Amino acid sequence: MSELELRLAALRGEVDYPATPDLAAAVERSLRAQPARPSRLRPLALAFAVLLAVAAGVLAFSPGARSSFLELFRLKGATVVRLESLPEVELVDFDLGDRVGREEAERRVGFELLDLGEPDAIHVRSGRVASLVYGPAERPRLVLSQFRGAVWDGFHKKALGTGTTIESVTVDGAPGLFVSGEEHYVMFLDGDGNVTDERTALAGNTLLWNRGPLLLRLEADVSLGEALELAESVR
Amino acid sequence: MVSRPPTEDELVERARRGDGAAFGTLVRDHQELAFRTAYLITRNTADAEDAAQTALVKAYSALPRFRRGAPLLPWLLAIVANEARNRLRSAARRDALALRAAHEAPSGDAAPSPEGALLAAEERAALLAALDALREGDRIVLSCRYLLGLGEEETAQVLSVRRGTVKSRTSRALARLREQLDPSPGEDA
Repeated sequence: MSELELRLAALRGEVDYPATPDLAAAVERSLRAQPARPSRLRPLALAFAVLLAVAAGVLAFSPGARSSFLELFRLKGATVVRLESLPEVELVDFDLGDRVGREEAERRVGFELLDLGEPDAIHVRSGRVASLVYGPAERPRLVLSQFRGAVWDGFHKKALGTGTTIESVTVDGAPGLFVSGEEHYVMFLDGDGNVTDERTALAGNTLLWNRGPLLLRLEADVSLGEALELAESVR
Repeated sequence: MVSRPPTEDELVERARRGDGAAFGTLVRDHQELAFRTAYLITRNTADAEDAAQTALVKAYSALPRFRRGAPLLPWLLAIVANEARNRLRSAARRDALALRAAHEAPSGDAAPSPEGALLAAEERAALLAALDALREGDRIVLSCRYLLGLGEEETAQVLSVRRGTVKSRTSRALARLREQLDPSPGEDA
């Protein structure tokens, strides 16, 4: 350290700062005045989500409808938009992707998989979404999907279809959402910051939450309490 | 049986779950440095208080993004510094940094003579004034490093730059400070 640095360091205790205000009390007052805890306004630490209820089956939007939603989603802000009418949809076959071994799945997605015990099958789709399937392939009981979602960058926008309910929850201390109703779409920012989407695999309820850089999605025909118990068992 | 106070990690976890009082406890532990960081950037008491308070409320909302197990203080200070810099660009009046009154200054092992104390006080005041006169970036990096006593890594976090950038900025800022103190070419030491 040069003499100048030593002289600067010696000033440390000698600057005449104003008295420190009681910021803690002010912050606590401010938090109490908020209508809801912030995490309820920020459902997930990622830019999730257009959640659209559809009547039945596994459905996808028409390209035009999807495009309009993507446009909508790119708007920054904290507005919640409820859609009065849903876009037209077309039926598609749902595909979890290639069935692969665990090692290959981890190689493809680039992260270590979390699980609820040894799954009956592991699928990887588009090289980024790993789905662990529990139960028979033709009628799975639970699907745990995981993929890299972008870190929350400050905006939150969701559009809800009628018939879908969303509850803010906490999973292992992280905010999450429990989506109940019928099938829905999830849109989020991927690791490169691009808007992308994912269909749900099962017709049951869905719990979405973040664990580190990953978005986890648990789909099963379970209640909120059961979903939370399962989610907290994910290792 | 005396229960131990909660650790910082435990308080963070409670705050993440929406416990505002737990967050208040965390703020209480760090509010002095948070306020001083804001003050060194804004050099205005009201702006510093407003910036620090706003930033801490934002930090509470941003807790889900806070990496578990990471040190909380630099993360909080980064949010405070950012908020303070926003205020700096919009506010008009700035206070000059000043030394504490002589009787408040910490005493050393041996009390200096009145003349020596006066001279030392003048030198310190001149150094502080020179620091205060530096451009914003130089002033802030030197304030973080020496007045707040933050390490290079912490300063990098607070200023949201790489550690190497802190090194180079510090070096350049010190060179400019030397020029302020002694405009003629020469050694500082």
